[in-house]
Amino acid sequence: MKLSWIFGSSMEAHHLLASYLLVWLIQGGYAAWIAWHWVRAGKGMQSDLSLNSETNQDS
Amino acid sequence: MKRSSIFGKIGIVWFILTLAAIAYATRLALVVAPTEATMGNVQRIFYYHVPTSMLSLLFPYVNFVASLFYLYWRQREPLRALTADAVAIAAAEVAVVYSSICLLTGMLWGRAAWGIWWTWDARLTSMLLLWLLYVSYLMLRKLSSTGQTNTLAAVLSIFAAIDVPIVYMSIQWWRTQHPAPVFGGGPDSGIDPSMMPAFGWNVLGWAMWGIFLLLFRYGLERRRQASEQEAAHKSIEGPLGVAR
Repeated sequence: MKLSWIFGSSMEAHHLLASYLLVWLIQGGYAAWIAWHWVRAGKGMQSDLSLNSETNQDS
Repeated sequence: MKRSSIFGKIGIVWFILTLAAIAYATRLALVVAPTEATMGNVQRIFYYHVPTSMLSLLFPYVNFVASLFYLYWRQREPLRALTADAVAIAAAEVAVVYSSICLLTGMLWGRAAWGIWWTWDARLTSMLLLWLLYVSYLMLRKLSSTGQTNTLAAVLSIFAAIDVPIVYMSIQWWRTQHPAPVFGGGPDSGIDPSMMPAFGWNVLGWAMWGIFLLLFRYGLERRRQASEQEAAHKSIEGPLGVAR
């Protein structure tokens, strides 16, 4: 089957295309948000973690 | 070789395999799978709406189990508690992502198939409630400034997890606009065998993506915890250094 119908003018084509775009927008957006914070958090700190239990706020 | 370097390489390989699986699954769903006789092409939303919905009921349990471990360890073993807490927040965020997609794609499908965007039936309402509970969980963590935020969030997650079986069973307990379960919903349930590869690959692809997001977000939270501790040490050592 050809894929060109998905860009057609029917409601089913619009809704299918919109839902695929939504999936990619939300999933890709969230992954990009993590990546952005990852890069920011990585600057100026070591990648190996050395957590100290003495400063745990809940203890 | 550093442990973080090995995990980084595994993560990159996992990411590439995930993208390949999703690309193949998308091709199967949009091009290879047959057109459904009643609903037509819009039924193809099924191939990621259903896997996403299944996963949106799975990640809350990861959050739930991690929260239980957090509550158990927070006094006994604070380091392990922090690990559990990082898993919990990662799982809650991934649960919100997947349940958001489930609700939005369901609305788009519902408008085309039923003629309505939304109806307050048991399945849709309980799913919306699940989404609201995990959004509340994230808001609590973000906005609360008490020293007990993590504990409060862990307790909230236990209550939120109670909604998961209600969402799952809602279409069996009540009469709903939402259709009966596709799998295990009685003698007439199930899909045509020709649709199974597209469905199976989408379950695999989106599950791999969800695991990738979970671990990626977990890693970020561990970095945040480490930098928070570093800042706490500096704030303690700073004044002492001046005093010396």
